[in-house]
Amino acid sequence: MTDVGFVIAGYGVILGGIGLYALLLARRLRAARDAVGAPTDADPPANDAPA
Amino acid sequence: MTQLRRSLTVAMAIARKDAISELRGRQAAGSTLFFAALVLLLFGFALGPDAERLAQAAPGLLWLAIVFGGLITVARLHQLEAEDGALEQLALYPVDRRAIYAGKALAGAAAMLVLGGLLVPAAGILYGIPIGAAWVPLLTAVVLGAIGFAAVGTAYAGLTVRMRAREVLLPLLLLPIVAPLLLAAVKASSAVLAGDPLGEAGSWLQLLAAFDVIMLVVGAGTYGFLLEE
Amino acid sequence: MKTRILGWAALVAVVAAAVNGLFVVPADLNQGDAQRIMYVHVASAWLAYASFGVTALAGIGYLVRRDLRLDAIALAGAEVGVMFTAFTIWGGMMWGKPVWGVFWQWEDPRLTTTALLLALYIGYLLLRRLTDDPHRRAARAAVVGLIAAVDIPIVHFSVLWWRGLHQGPTIGDPSKLLHPSAPLLFVLALLAMVGAFTLTWAYLLIRRYQLARLEWQREEEARLSRIVAARRAAPPPLVGNVEEPAR
Repeated sequence: MTDVGFVIAGYGVILGGIGLYALLLARRLRAARDAVGAPTDADPPANDAPA
Repeated sequence: MTQLRRSLTVAMAIARKDAISELRGRQAAGSTLFFAALVLLLFGFALGPDAERLAQAAPGLLWLAIVFGGLITVARLHQLEAEDGALEQLALYPVDRRAIYAGKALAGAAAMLVLGGLLVPAAGILYGIPIGAAWVPLLTAVVLGAIGFAAVGTAYAGLTVRMRAREVLLPLLLLPIVAPLLLAAVKASSAVLAGDPLGEAGSWLQLLAAFDVIMLVVGAGTYGFLLEE
Repeated sequence: MKTRILGWAALVAVVAAAVNGLFVVPADLNQGDAQRIMYVHVASAWLAYASFGVTALAGIGYLVRRDLRLDAIALAGAEVGVMFTAFTIWGGMMWGKPVWGVFWQWEDPRLTTTALLLALYIGYLLLRRLTDDPHRRAARAAVVGLIAAVDIPIVHFSVLWWRGLHQGPTIGDPSKLLHPSAPLLFVLALLAMVGAFTLTWAYLLIRRYQLARLEWQREEEARLSRIVAARRAAPPPLVGNVEEPAR
């Protein structure tokens, strides 16, 4: 592998990794924001019967 | 001043208690020694039979065996109490946490000193290294290494003792920390065994001593937070 | 909102610094194009160690104040840190192969110390994952973070002395960039990359911290729900009054 190959591998993995991590964080943040306040499994079932 | 005396009394009492249980439960301590000796033997199979290569590698192999034995030792010194629920009781005593830490670390260092002291001649025989006059600085290295390992090991053993996967977590946490201890101890040992041509042994022993002091201070300072849980 | 601006600024800075390092700055006379990797390698190293400092300090802060927000900062530092540490090692290897001829050199203090740093980080994160109670987790993590942080300089010095006994690598010393005699263009390129990475680091830290707090909030909600559900299923007996229970 030529020197240029190593440079590309170096920059590619590092910058790509940062980008991937940033995207991953964004996705997890969105999911977490939606999840907070939503009912959990332990909550009792909502009362669906008409009044 | 009485506070200090009280702390010292507690530390010695804990160290003595651990030492007695080590001697009484002779199988455990003896098994650890046997395991470490086995490690030395196995290294011989892995790197031998060339005597010269083994002799060159000897200090490193010796210290690896001490480290592996040490892992088991520090874990065991906490395990006995954890199983009986005595650790919680210990935490309830209105005594300086550092005294408890000091006692346990002292017991750990003593156990490792015995371990190391017995492994040195074993390695000398197995790897064909004449120890001769070098035994004094060699023993110094063992003492310093034992103290340093016990200093961090006691803290981490206390941390992991009630955790699941503690058998793998303790080595995983402890081994990277003791890497400089291992490095310095091996360099010091190989230097004195070769007659210390470069006069470097002293520097390595000083590094060991610095490691010991730093880890004792940090260990004593943080042990209380681990008991409090 | 400010974080988003920071994020975009970081992106622009990184792109600019990368373009600079890859195309604008001339190649090194001795090391050739491989030297360009140094910019991302050193920048990553800087942030890897800075992250560790954050984790250790936030951990101490937690032990003093018992505020779980500090623990969240520590976690963010550790996760971001382990990433930059891995990048540092990767960069070091990608630089080492063309320049040294090998991927790994035991005598390079930065490489070996960083490898140990990676091991310490991984242990830290694993420890956190194996503890469920938030406060216990924070306390244990803080102790480990502190001991590890104290250990790092010891490791660095011991490896430095280790090397001193052998002939160090004369060609291709990675710290050449930090020499006072290094060409100005190279130094500026390095500083630009470090600055860009620092902005990125700050952005990632903030986001990871926000995520940690949200996830903890979620943990708490689930925990409270479980307690409430348990109470409903087996209501505590009423004392004295022979009233019918609510359900």
